[in-house]
Amino acid sequence: MMKRLRIERATGQLLVARSGAASNPGSTALRSSYRAAQVVPVRHQSSYSSFEAESQHPSPIYEEDGTDHSRFPPLEKLPPLTSTLPSPLPERALQSAKLAALHARLSLSPKIPLQTLARTLVDPSADPNPHFNNTSLAFLGSTIINYHASEWFMVHYPRLPMDVFYAAMTGLAGPAPLNRIAKSWGIESAAAPGGEVDSGLLQFSLDSPGESVLGFGYTRTIVDKINKNNWQRSVNSKIIYDDDFGQVVSRPKPKPKPKPKQQEEEQEPQVELDQEQDQDQEQDQEDGEYLYNPLPPKFSPTSYGSERTRELSEKAHANFVRAVVGATYAHCGREQAKAFVKAHVLSRYLDLERLFAFKHPTLELALLCAREEFDPPVARLLSETGRLSRTPVFVVGIYSGNDKLGEGAGATLEQARLKAAMHALKAWYLYSPGEGARVPSDVLESGEEEGLGKRMRTWEPVYVDIGELISR
Amino acid sequence: MAVKALKAVSQGRNGVGAFILQCKRIDLHYCDWAGSSRGMNGFIKSLLPKFAAAHPQIEFTISPRPAKHPVAIGHYINGRSKPICVRNMEPYEILKKLELLRDASGEKLKKVTKPVRSINESVRGIWSPYHGNGMQL
Repeated sequence: MMKRLRIERATGQLLVARSGAASNPGSTALRSSYRAAQVVPVRHQSSYSSFEAESQHPSPIYEEDGTDHSRFPPLEKLPPLTSTLPSPLPERALQSAKLAALHARLSLSPKIPLQTLARTLVDPSADPNPHFNNTSLAFLGSTIINYHASEWFMVHYPRLPMDVFYAAMTGLAGPAPLNRIAKSWGIESAAAPGGEVDSGLLQFSLDSPGESVLGFGYTRTIVDKINKNNWQRSVNSKIIYDDDFGQVVSRPKPKPKPKPKQQEEEQEPQVELDQEQDQDQEQDQEDGEYLYNPLPPKFSPTSYGSERTRELSEKAHANFVRAVVGATYAHCGREQAKAFVKAHVLSRYLDLERLFAFKHPTLELALLCAREEFDPPVARLLSETGRLSRTPVFVVGIYSGNDKLGEGAGATLEQARLKAAMHALKAWYLYSPGEGARVPSDVLESGEEEGLGKRMRTWEPVYVDIGELISR
Repeated sequence: MAVKALKAVSQGRNGVGAFILQCKRIDLHYCDWAGSSRGMNGFIKSLLPKFAAAHPQIEFTISPRPAKHPVAIGHYINGRSKPICVRNMEPYEILKKLELLRDASGEKLKKVTKPVRSINESVRGIWSPYHGNGMQL
């Protein structure tokens, strides 16, 4: 346990000069000096380490930060130029004790390699290269989590109004609960992302969040106007256009386009440096490599603890949980992913009663009774005490014919009546066929091992409601 | 007029669905020279490999701390830590202390007077003076 495998002691790292390093005519003296210094290790994303006979490269005495490592040996021997990378090399995942502990703590299947788990911890804001960050896994995971959460709500609470359904989805599978799940797994985040960071730490950047994916879903063409003018959206359009939580999917910021070469030469060398770097980065992302950005990070300690940083942190944590679900699906399959979502997401407690906010409960109850062809609701005083005292209590029941729909106690007659109407409406909207109701994905399960056999695979239709009251 | 929705975030219930061990890291410090670390050194040599292998979900770190008493520090998911000084202890006593660190939740110690704490609604409901037939005097 304590003696880690020191693979990198036996081997070096393949060193490759950047393509076209000193051949660009537009390069200034400053840039060429940068380029000469940039020797970038090649990264490979695979579940086996790709160390081969590279020991002819002696490890450099001077690292890129100028530290004399013969005098100050590092705690962990890293491959050369590791800190030039935006995220740790996938091979280093095998040496991270934190990562192995996390794998065991989540009881993940041994089919999920540590390299994949390390990849789920790299946010796109830390490493924009999609081959090494968790965007694809997080997208896969979000579709799986949202599917299982929504089918669970649809089957178990078929009469939920759409707005409440979206609130319930946000409360169970949105970024805030997923953030809490990540925290409850004991995830620690790195102070700043980089290649030298332990693979078991969550890595996201507060400096360049623009690179990351903002949301998963369809972007409305009028999204800017909706955000600017606070336009109301109908429930139907939310269902069709917006994401799984009824939120508008914002448009990602367009990347600044590199200008033509001639204009570039006339500009200041510093500006030119930036743009060239962007170009190179885009090129290299296609090649599966990443170039070190030598500009100092625009990090300020005051940026900690603001609303914005909390939001970024929440998003990074949520995307990590989604990516773990995506990794479970990719390596272990559908049933394991479903079991994982059930164990970690759906098992959490969410009181749906607290999600309702009624404006005119009595009117709504009257409309509901009219639609369902019940007798019109009548409020009756059931019991009271202390009418003339300082603390009176009235208990009012709402009746439709002889059936009591709801009951509420309040300090005034009006309050008690409203409470009773709200209870009646909640009793209607929160109808549930019970815990044993089967969701559609149960049909896909192979239940032979549990002796359930054929029953699991045949679908019995569930209750489908005609819908909530149409608002006027 | 339609129903509006409020915001809420689901609450975790560790052990319902999945169980996450709350102890995430145990740091062990020892001294090569001092006599109070003799038990700790024996523990690290003889008992720790088996204990660590049995608990892969805990990260173990060992570091020397010369001229100091040996100590075992548990770090927990809630951000707290629990240090235990294990000077002059025998290896099996230290094993007991590590089991204590493993089983702790990381919360501050407090007196538990009620056997069950739950966020679930009471099955029986709350007694109401306004319901039922009342008592005839």
